Amino acid sequence: MDNEVYSFALKNALDEIRNTCPDVISTFIFREDGEILAGDQTTSENTFVKVVDALDCLLEKKEALGDLERAIFEGEKNRACVSRVDGLYLVTVASKNADTKYLDSFTRVLIPTVLKLLEKIQPVPPKTQLPEPEADIETPAREFEETEETAQEEEILPDMPANQFIVENLEGFLTPSDTVRIDSNVMSQWEKLFKDKKVEKVEIETFGGKTIRCKVKPIKNTKHEGKGAVQIPKKIQLALDIGKGELVRAKPIFE
Amino acid sequence: MMEAKQMVKKERTFQETPIIEEQNTLVESVPSVDDLRKRLQEIQTDENVIGYVLRSSDSASIDIKDPKRVIDYAVLSSSSFDASEELAKLFDLGDIQNIIIEGKNIKVLSLTFGENKLSIFMEKNADHDKISKKIQQP
Repeated sequence: MDNEVYSFALKNALDEIRNTCPDVISTFIFREDGEILAGDQTTSENTFVKVVDALDCLLEKKEALGDLERAIFEGEKNRACVSRVDGLYLVTVASKNADTKYLDSFTRVLIPTVLKLLEKIQPVPPKTQLPEPEADIETPAREFEETEETAQEEEILPDMPANQFIVENLEGFLTPSDTVRIDSNVMSQWEKLFKDKKVEKVEIETFGGKTIRCKVKPIKNTKHEGKGAVQIPKKIQLALDIGKGELVRAKPIFE
Repeated sequence: MMEAKQMVKKERTFQETPIIEEQNTLVESVPSVDDLRKRLQEIQTDENVIGYVLRSSDSASIDIKDPKRVIDYAVLSSSSFDASEELAKLFDLGDIQNIIIEGKNIKVLSLTFGENKLSIFMEKNADHDKISKKIQQP
């Protein structure tokens, strides 16, 4: 079962919450590293990203707070609730008139049930899965352009894994404008997957469908490590028509 | 034409009075920093209360039992207000009345009184509703 199926199941559960409680304005689920797993149709993906970005400052305060378990923001019109469910964060925004006790109980039963069910079907955590290298894969990836050398060796490589990242600015006097920076763990996972081939280029794809190929290096700043971020120079951001905080996909390119 | 003009004038005069009254009511209902400090002194006698951070437009008072945690808690307080402002903008929450942040270790109740922003830090098992009532209605 791939991530799409996982997201589909969670999305259905979220839609069910909205059907049952019409006072719910928006609802979505994200992982601690910021990856958005599923959300309702009426709210834009950009809004989800901004919410995760806003909550990041609280998720980071582990020393003082410990793991964030629940956050409630009560406004005079609407109420936003963030609750930790089985290691994931569920965000529910509802009108002030909503029956919050019923809504909380309902979501606390429904989402863990769906997660448990999904876990039974495939016992893996809901995160971007990197396919395991398999020797018996018959067809190489569609996007993969085989070099003469690899063709001669009859080496068959697995599908190119695409991971989601949140865009961060990459600035600095000596920063090359054609190079992005990605979490070193993700890069080493890619390299491991492709038999220790060095990842030197990636393809960045926006949700608007724009793509660009550029050089890649691991993130230097530990502040951005392990947060699912991709540091992109302004020049590339402009070319892709994206900005800080937006979500993009990236996959390794071997040429 | 004359009649129409007179009607407009009359309506304006009629609307002005309640607005002034409303503003007066608002000013009266917001407790001053001194009032809040007095209420906080009482609240701090609760053994589950760890401390508080009270910010006004020109000053801040911090009283935390564990002095090593002062900066952590001050940052946490401002982070919770920052997050609330962003969420309020994104989801049209309106003016934020209260924020409750529950972590694995502690719980934070944040409230806004006009320009004064207050965060009360407490143990996880503390009754934040009771504390909230105490601070809002002494």
